[in-house]
Amino acid sequence: MTSRPLFPSQEIGSLMKPLWQLQGARGGPLDERARKEFQAWDERIHFTRGAEAIASALLSGSPGKVTPEQVRDLGALFGLRYFESAGLDRVYDAEARRIEMYEYPIRQMHGFQFFGHVRSFDNKYYLKAANTGEIRLERPYHTEEFEFVRAHARAEPKIPITGPYTLADWSFNEHFLARQKGWKGTASRRAAQHEFVVELARKAIRPTLVALIDSGCRVIQIDEPAAGTHPGEGDLVAEGFNAATEGLDAEFSMHICFSDYRNLFPALLEAKRCRQWAWEFANRDRDGRDGYEVLNVLREYGDTRDVGLGVLDVHRDEVETPEKVAKRIGRAAQILGDPKRIWVNPDCGLRTRSLDVAYAKLGAMHRGAELARAELSNPRT
Amino acid sequence: MTVRTALSGPFPRSEALVAATRDLDRGRTTVEAVEALYTRTEREVLALEHRLGVDASTAGYLRWQDIYRPISESWSGFSVGPVTRMFETNTFFRQPILLGPPERVPGAIAAWIPLPLRMAEKSRAKIVLPGPYTLAQAVDNRSGDTTEGLIHRLGRLLGDELHELHGRGYSIFQFQEPSLVVDPPTGPRAEAVLAAYRAIEARSSGSTTIVWTYFGDAAPEHALLDRLPVSVIGVDLAETEYERLRPWTASKELGLGVIDPRTTLPEDPAEVAEIVDSLAARLQPPGLWLGPGGPLDLLPAEAAARKLQLLPRARRAIAARGGAR
Repeated sequence: MTSRPLFPSQEIGSLMKPLWQLQGARGGPLDERARKEFQAWDERIHFTRGAEAIASALLSGSPGKVTPEQVRDLGALFGLRYFESAGLDRVYDAEARRIEMYEYPIRQMHGFQFFGHVRSFDNKYYLKAANTGEIRLERPYHTEEFEFVRAHARAEPKIPITGPYTLADWSFNEHFLARQKGWKGTASRRAAQHEFVVELARKAIRPTLVALIDSGCRVIQIDEPAAGTHPGEGDLVAEGFNAATEGLDAEFSMHICFSDYRNLFPALLEAKRCRQWAWEFANRDRDGRDGYEVLNVLREYGDTRDVGLGVLDVHRDEVETPEKVAKRIGRAAQILGDPKRIWVNPDCGLRTRSLDVAYAKLGAMHRGAELARAELSNPRT
Repeated sequence: MTVRTALSGPFPRSEALVAATRDLDRGRTTVEAVEALYTRTEREVLALEHRLGVDASTAGYLRWQDIYRPISESWSGFSVGPVTRMFETNTFFRQPILLGPPERVPGAIAAWIPLPLRMAEKSRAKIVLPGPYTLAQAVDNRSGDTTEGLIHRLGRLLGDELHELHGRGYSIFQFQEPSLVVDPPTGPRAEAVLAAYRAIEARSSGSTTIVWTYFGDAAPEHALLDRLPVSVIGVDLAETEYERLRPWTASKELGLGVIDPRTTLPEDPAEVAEIVDSLAARLQPPGLWLGPGGPLDLLPAEAAARKLQLLPRARRAIAARGGAR
């Protein structure tokens, strides 16, 4: 077991795809901007070491010599080195091979149909599938992706995977609702959604987790960004988590963001195999508000699990100072009463920020954790 | 008893419009091309409404980015704020920010009405607007006014809006009021809601005014809904325990949201007819309006069009039962 410093740091989600990866994966030659971006980042984080032939072919202007899969491999190496060089203790590949977190897993399953786009807001849309039949997994997904990460990571890998509650909430429920007798009112919908979440957990997420664990995966983050959508469904979030993870030997965390966490308690306490709550806080820690006050909910319920503490606001370009990060860590330690329970991470994936801004933020997070450690070992009086 | 049907809010954008509006954001097409497609698609929605035999048409309100936008982008005092979750859904709206006293801009809302609807028979057009309470609840109110004051003021402004639109030939107006059943007002706030609707009533003579509630159970809010001086109150049957609905004391029609936009699963016309019949027999409203329970743009366009086939089928099934008609 590697010994970790106090306030170890971890990635939490995806990064913006580098321009060179987007252009390279499309098979076209890199334009001047993409080439410069590639070279600048290679000078900073040396991500092409061990992949010089692919890098050289990509830069040579002969893109036909590089397959899209090789470009994505290089993208995964980029993500790993990016996080590692920023000083993170737990890393992943920045989800370099994933376009998004919903459509890809759903397309690995039978029993779903896509009828078209639904608006998220303004001119932003997403494809939303309907569950129209029995759920059956084509094959476990993310395993190859993890195996590449495991083979190349220098820091400890942690894989994020979309949770059953979120996959169900972001889908239309036809199959299970149709099985309900009578008018499809709130009680029927609730019962049908319960079946849907548990079936997704058992038939799709669990086999995927098993395959990952068999591949050597030890640390798994279940992403449930939809958990806060329906305040009364914390029990369903927990039940889905339990159905997916029951009897599995790995270190599980649950990532939730931009939600009122209090609404999920005490129901969420039933997610027994969750060892860490990885939540967003920094976003709400401004304009005089204490974004970390909500941690009191864990104290109130006597919950002593680890906390993945969001210390970077992923929606703002402003780079936090290390002092601000240290102060946030200190505030959380004060509420939780045990600094050993704290991991530090961005609020959520940094994909909406430029690679430069995200890297600066991660650097500030690393230095902020160092400051917080120093502060704790030498407290000011 | 008359049974009418109509859409009760924005229709989803077609896949072609999805692609075009995305392209517009990415600079790959022109405003003119997207505008032409909007108008063409609005005509298609209007034609769909005619095929469905609805009693009031909307043409889909496809240009609206959310239900508040016609007001937050055209009335003075408002600006358009951050992306905010729309109730318990995975869709979002831009929160209206009120920086000073709101004032309507004459002609501005009329300009938001879809062109094909303006060209059609106006007396059969349904104008959909946010209700004063739901709008006030959605607003980031930095105007210095209290929430109660704002609700009342919005009611007066909406009353003036109806008056103007009535002068332009429109006579069916629907207020979207999910907040009345999701976050029901009490005490002075409930009184402010009543005052707002009295202000609307005072300026809407000769019009049909509809309050459409959704995303929540309307049955427990009977006392307030019953006091609203409007022509029709609509309830979302997917959320409402309809066995607990009670009759209105005044002569008010009942709207029934019989299509659930949260699922692509089609409703059974016979089952809907049975529920509608039983409610009509028990509550004895002077008239019924059937429509979607909530915003249809929670669905993809193809699924929404498919689910809307329920309206004529349910109407036929009700007639076949010899019940409400």
